[in-house]
Amino acid sequence: MNPTPRSTELALLLVAALVTVGAYALAGLGETASLPANLLPFLFTVLGLFAVAHIVVRRFAPNADPTILPIVGLLNGLGYAVIARLDADLAGLQSTWTALAVIAFAATLIMVKRAIDLERYRYLVALAGIGLLLLPLAPGIGTTKNGARLWVELGPFSFQPGELAKLALAIFFASYLVERRELLAPGGLPTHALAARARAMGPLLAAWALSLVVMIAERDLGSSTLFFALFVGMLWMAAGGVGWPLLGAGMFAAGSLFAVSVFSHVKARIDTWIDPWSDAAGAGFQLVQATFAFAAGGTVGVGLAKGRPDRIPAATTDLIFAAIGEELGLVGSAAVIAAFMLLVAAGLRIAMRAHRPFDQLLAAGLTLILGVQSFLIIGGVTRVLPLTGITLPFVSYGGSSLVANWILVAILLRISATPAPTTRDIAARPAQQVAA
Amino acid sequence: MTERIRRMGVVLGFLFCVLLLMVTKLQLVDAEKNQNHPQNTRDLARDFGRDRGAIQTADGVVLARSEPSDDQYRLQRTYPEGALFAPVTGYLSFTYVSDGAERAFNDQLTGGTASAGDRSLKDLFQEDASSRDVTLTIRADVQKAAAAALGNRKGAVVALDPSNGDVLALVSFPTFDPNPLAGHTQADVTRAWDGFNADPNKPLLPRAYRESYPPGSTFKVVTAGAALDRQRELAEKDYPRLKQLDLPRTTKDLPNFGGGTCGGRIGDLLRVSCNTGFAQMGIDLGGQNLTAEAQAFGFGERPPLDLPAPARSRFPAVERFKGNDLGEPGLAFSAIGQQNVSATPLQMALVAAAVANNGVIMKPHVLAKVTDPKGAVTDTYAPSAWRTATSPETAAALKAMMVDVAARGTATRAQIPGATVGGKTGTAQTQGDNAHAWIITFAPAEAPRVAVAVIVESQPGLGDVTGGRIAAPIAAEVMKVALGL
Repeated sequence: MNPTPRSTELALLLVAALVTVGAYALAGLGETASLPANLLPFLFTVLGLFAVAHIVVRRFAPNADPTILPIVGLLNGLGYAVIARLDADLAGLQSTWTALAVIAFAATLIMVKRAIDLERYRYLVALAGIGLLLLPLAPGIGTTKNGARLWVELGPFSFQPGELAKLALAIFFASYLVERRELLAPGGLPTHALAARARAMGPLLAAWALSLVVMIAERDLGSSTLFFALFVGMLWMAAGGVGWPLLGAGMFAAGSLFAVSVFSHVKARIDTWIDPWSDAAGAGFQLVQATFAFAAGGTVGVGLAKGRPDRIPAATTDLIFAAIGEELGLVGSAAVIAAFMLLVAAGLRIAMRAHRPFDQLLAAGLTLILGVQSFLIIGGVTRVLPLTGITLPFVSYGGSSLVANWILVAILLRISATPAPTTRDIAARPAQQVAA
Repeated sequence: MTERIRRMGVVLGFLFCVLLLMVTKLQLVDAEKNQNHPQNTRDLARDFGRDRGAIQTADGVVLARSEPSDDQYRLQRTYPEGALFAPVTGYLSFTYVSDGAERAFNDQLTGGTASAGDRSLKDLFQEDASSRDVTLTIRADVQKAAAAALGNRKGAVVALDPSNGDVLALVSFPTFDPNPLAGHTQADVTRAWDGFNADPNKPLLPRAYRESYPPGSTFKVVTAGAALDRQRELAEKDYPRLKQLDLPRTTKDLPNFGGGTCGGRIGDLLRVSCNTGFAQMGIDLGGQNLTAEAQAFGFGERPPLDLPAPARSRFPAVERFKGNDLGEPGLAFSAIGQQNVSATPLQMALVAAAVANNGVIMKPHVLAKVTDPKGAVTDTYAPSAWRTATSPETAAALKAMMVDVAARGTATRAQIPGATVGGKTGTAQTQGDNAHAWIITFAPAEAPRVAVAVIVESQPGLGDVTGGRIAAPIAAEVMKVALGL
């Protein structure tokens, strides 16, 4: 008898818990030659969080994909062990955020019975997304950190609304594009539809403008690239053809060239990417230190808490992948990349198996977020791309990122657990969709 | 749409493969190159940041210790006593150069040399080998007394215990403050380093064991030893009283310093440091005997001092005294420690120590013990002999003669109340009318516990009293403090 998805998930989660607690214990051994005093409480906390997530899935989405949750748990746990080894204070916050993220995950699974339900609020969601995206620009609450205006501070709380905005935008894009995909698809159209196609292009321009605003006003290259890639990718998956990706790439290139020629911070990023060595103590410091960290790690790494990732700037956030590379070696860094590959594969499998076009496109879009975001930051740290400040999903320190990404996988799991629509569902669909 | 989602998977898969390739390049292909990159200060920071034990004197004065610092190196090396002990401690510099005890005892101070390359399974579960403190045989009181007595004159003082080789003081002047070299700002370190190196007085040079000088008349102890050991009848020979010695096969004469007239038996010659007598004795001994004796006392070999790169003291090879190279005139000059003879202050202290210790030279060393952070001794230096310079009988005879030199010869100023001193002065001609003032001493003569060599460079005046006048009081001061008198 084949194991059920949930028992597979439980077994894999136990493996993820083992790796997490093992990494945490090894970091303690590496630092003080003794096991961390709070190892048992830590073990129970990890098992407890995984159990909550697992039980909620078992209860509310019993047919969901069994691999996503263990991979996410593994990445989150490994990231936590590395953060705990680097900065005890941040680790305390990260554990709180992880708990909140798991609660958000559970709440999403419980409240969102079908992903299609989200479609009803698409304009609200779109507005919320744009609002969240622009919120850091609001005077008074918006805050600039490390040159990027991504943060909102409300009293003692600070968060990056852009992390949630990407979810909202994915939902809106999925809904909008599924509805308009015939209009946007390549090939001949009746004359009367050409104007409609032109109108349908409006959001493409809007997305482009939005990503430029983010790049220019918030000085956030990573997020702007992510949003644009998300939109063009989803547009292509919805409509097909080579025109949209080419047009999108052209527009992105034009925007980038414009930004490079006009904005010094963008040009500086590019220069540093091409040659970090000429200013190794200044602009190139992050990349050069990351390079040295990878070199120090070698094949099997220097061991948790045995290296000097404290020499890497932003080692708990944007450059955490370099810290993993140093202490866990090529084995560890390749494993993290492999985990993201598996996550992306699982997400796209969910998308391909989903029964509704909206579900398909949303699942693919959400997966695209995880894939592109991890590629952008890992590629940035390894000099495949210019380095842009963006978190490594689930691994980097950051509350907004954790909560948003756990909600993201909750939606993915919800889609994977959604059965084929019955006749009643089709009858209950909004009239316009039936007409399209 | 399903097909395009699949293709999107292919695109993302390709991108991740690029990442895998790049991280393989970074961690496998280019790892070694980047680890050795000139701008990679990780190893340096590891050494700087690694716990490093303290260096302290035998009487508990801390010479070097690591204090917490806020920067990436975590620890700042400081030398609380500064320049005074720099010839012993050396320095630990950002430029990855180190010297002195910091270099010699690096393994003990850091607790091991485990590099990223040679880890074992055990190391994975064990704390980094913990740092250890190093206690030296150097005594702060002796070092301070020696430095104070030398004052602002160029020179060096070595004091050691002849019975076990413990080095009690190792003074060199001018010296340097190691603190700026241990700084963490490259520019400041470079400035200090360049400044020390540009100084013509060579403050970084530990003269006491790494600089050689003509030993002058202090070498007559070795010549006397050669006579006693190898040509006994010369010890009984009555050398004629001369003002100058007519050197064979030359038109040159070898005069006594200050134009004095001297002669007599070996003890008389040594008491007044008679040049003509010892020069003739050298010719009588011949190259074979003189060279063999010098080698027995350690000339031509690096003393096994446990500090980096002690200099070799030199005495000409036998062949050079044959034929026309140095010949018999060369023998005459070599027998009185001039011309082609050179010795470090340490070597001359070891000559005194050989006489004081029945002819046996113990290995000179500054390491006393190594202790772990809890104070438990993990390693203790065990004294051992370096070489037998001469027989106990010869040593006893030389000792008696040197006591006589201090009692009523050229070294009277080396006398100290409460202990019988043996000594031999030296004046080594340099350029013009300047000479290096030397003395080697030991005390108390009955059972010597301290042997001293002092050199004061380039002092005016050529009289053989120079060594006695200038160097002897320094040796007296050092012995007084060393013996607690």
